[in-house]
Amino acid sequence: MSDPFKPRAAFAPWDRRELPGLFTVEESARRVGNYKWLEMRLFESLGGWVATVPELDVKLVLGRHCYHHAWHAELMDKRLPELREMNTDRLCEPANPEMAAFVEALREPEAPEHTIEKLVGIFRVLLPRKIAAYTYHMNATSRITDSPTQRSLGFMLQDEFEDWREGEMLLQSLIETPDDVERAARRQSELEQLILAAGGIAGPGTLGSETVTEGASV
Amino acid sequence: MSNITLIPAGFTLVKFDADQVRELIGQTMAEVGFPADVAVTIEVDEVLPHPLTASLVDIVDGEAKLWFTGGCFESPKRQTGLSVDHTRVELGSAFLRAKDRLSEGFVNAPRDEELDDRQRTIWDAYAEGRLVALGYPVRVQRRRYTFRLYGGFNDVADAAFARLWSGDALSWNDLSAMADELVAADTRPPRKKSLRKETLRSAPAA
Amino acid sequence: MRKQLPPEMLARDSRFVRTSIMDQVMDPRNAKMGERDLGSARLQPERPAAADRARNLMHGIFTGEIQALEGAGRTTFDFDDEQAPFALKLDMARQCWDESRHVEISVKLGDWMGTEIGEYSEATFLYEAACAPDPILRLCGVNRALEGLAIDVFNTMKEFGDLSGDPVLEFCEDWMLADEVTHVKMGSDWLRRLTADDPERRERALDFQRTVDKLFSLGGFRGESEDNPIQLARAFRSMAGFSTDEIDELAEIAAQAQLDAQAMVAGSS
Ligand SMILES: [Fe+2]
Ligand SMILES: [Fe+2]
Repeated sequence: MSDPFKPRAAFAPWDRRELPGLFTVEESARRVGNYKWLEMRLFESLGGWVATVPELDVKLVLGRHCYHHAWHAELMDKRLPELREMNTDRLCEPANPEMAAFVEALREPEAPEHTIEKLVGIFRVLLPRKIAAYTYHMNATSRITDSPTQRSLGFMLQDEFEDWREGEMLLQSLIETPDDVERAARRQSELEQLILAAGGIAGPGTLGSETVTEGASV
Repeated sequence: MSNITLIPAGFTLVKFDADQVRELIGQTMAEVGFPADVAVTIEVDEVLPHPLTASLVDIVDGEAKLWFTGGCFESPKRQTGLSVDHTRVELGSAFLRAKDRLSEGFVNAPRDEELDDRQRTIWDAYAEGRLVALGYPVRVQRRRYTFRLYGGFNDVADAAFARLWSGDALSWNDLSAMADELVAADTRPPRKKSLRKETLRSAPAA
Repeated sequence: MRKQLPPEMLARDSRFVRTSIMDQVMDPRNAKMGERDLGSARLQPERPAAADRARNLMHGIFTGEIQALEGAGRTTFDFDDEQAPFALKLDMARQCWDESRHVEISVKLGDWMGTEIGEYSEATFLYEAACAPDPILRLCGVNRALEGLAIDVFNTMKEFGDLSGDPVLEFCEDWMLADEVTHVKMGSDWLRRLTADDPERRERALDFQRTVDKLFSLGGFRGESEDNPIQLARAFRSMAGFSTDEIDELAEIAAQAQLDAQAMVAGSS
């Protein structure tokens, strides 16, 4: 019979998580605040668009995805106080004015003929950016100290991947002519320019490079 | 067209064009092969709107008497407007059943008002199945749902429906036997087996 | 995209046709119908034209679900964070998902019953109630009044499915009923929370709800007698946060609406 009182290592041999991470508490909170703001603006936009798209399948998908992003906003909202940010509204803001301008442009189309423009903004520009930023956050932050954020981001990424695939398939089925291809590409390019100016959904350094906090790695 | 009477001669409560209705009647009679020498009276109760759909078909003294609620011909999309597709199917079905009644195999069929809902739904399915073969815009799933509602939501009823849908040269005895078969297979409480007969036509003016 | 999207801008594909209110009001059959004794209007399998009546009602539910989806969606978008608290918007987003599923259920149910999408014209009354400028008015008009009506309708249809032995109809209605109870409860909870210190606003919201309730009890459509096609579902309403007094008041509104309708017919003939 094995001895239940024999000392064992706190980390099993296959658990290779390490302490160091690139983010301080403040940096993680700042990003989480940006994510919450963006998820809110996103679920509101999808909710608002439901009534403006005539395609029944798109209408229903937007209704479903609206809740996914609302749930993401809720997860981020709950995480903020745990990152010492008791006023959950304070950091709930765009990374910079350029990011606010991007979102303004993203949610601008309204006419029922503009479903392609609406979907391109979400599924070909924003969701890939979110997937990249959330993946970076998961990989960069400490897998031990910031694992509650990581866990939430993991759930969120699962939604983002599945929603992106569904949205991309809708787009491929809606793009029927060379003109439609042009429209989609033009729209993507316009919005890419704006999010490029913002530096990504969490501002410059969304994917590292500039925002590495010196000395945060222990 | 001389032996066809449409009542009312002109519609006042709904926006049906009586001439168009008469034309559809003539066209349908020819398409289903209803004998041209049989006098026909078609009465439309234009007060009753869609979805109050009901019709009666009888042969009285050698003449065909057809009665419909206005709802049978009305477009569900345009209030008081005519739906050509619905009108064609309703007329086609009614003329096929009138033709049945003129034939040897249906001399023992009860009058329409005496049919129970199960018997009636069986006959309707048999008629609409034949309309499909004639290229009429019949909606099979609509008829199947109505059939299940009165015949039962079970495999026996579904198999019976399939037989009727491709049926040909059936007699009243065949339909009546099928009704008995459906009763036997129906597991719903007895109250639902003997559906109380109530018609829109018998509704007296207050 | 603008805030406050008017009902005429609801986007639909080419299968859908909007109900003409003029055609409805001016229909000369209305008065004549009132003179007829057509027996009980309660939707039951043994009533004449039960199949087409059920299909018609189900299509009305289907378009109502689309508008409930659109209305909840607009409430997430139309108000800023001060006008509508974060948690309220989350509830509305959740409702979007639920209504989206209800549309899916309704489409499948339509296939089952042989109803085509857009077969019947669409009235936009539900979305109209979702255009109120105050979010709490929307929650009273839509969640409490109209989704309360949805509870009554689904319960009636569930009974219809049960009586006719239709396993699909009963299954679908039961699931939708569970969600609607949740939505009505959302309305009841938010009404209490947002107007706790503002009795005037609460009264305005309840007034709006009464107006909508009255409108949809019109002519005895909903009530507690054999004559009402749609029956008031007391048990489910109390689950959804309605007090007994509120349900009694609604029953009274319904009964009064029926008396008004009868008096109107008597007066016109
Ligand atoms: Fe619903
Ligand atoms: Fe609902």
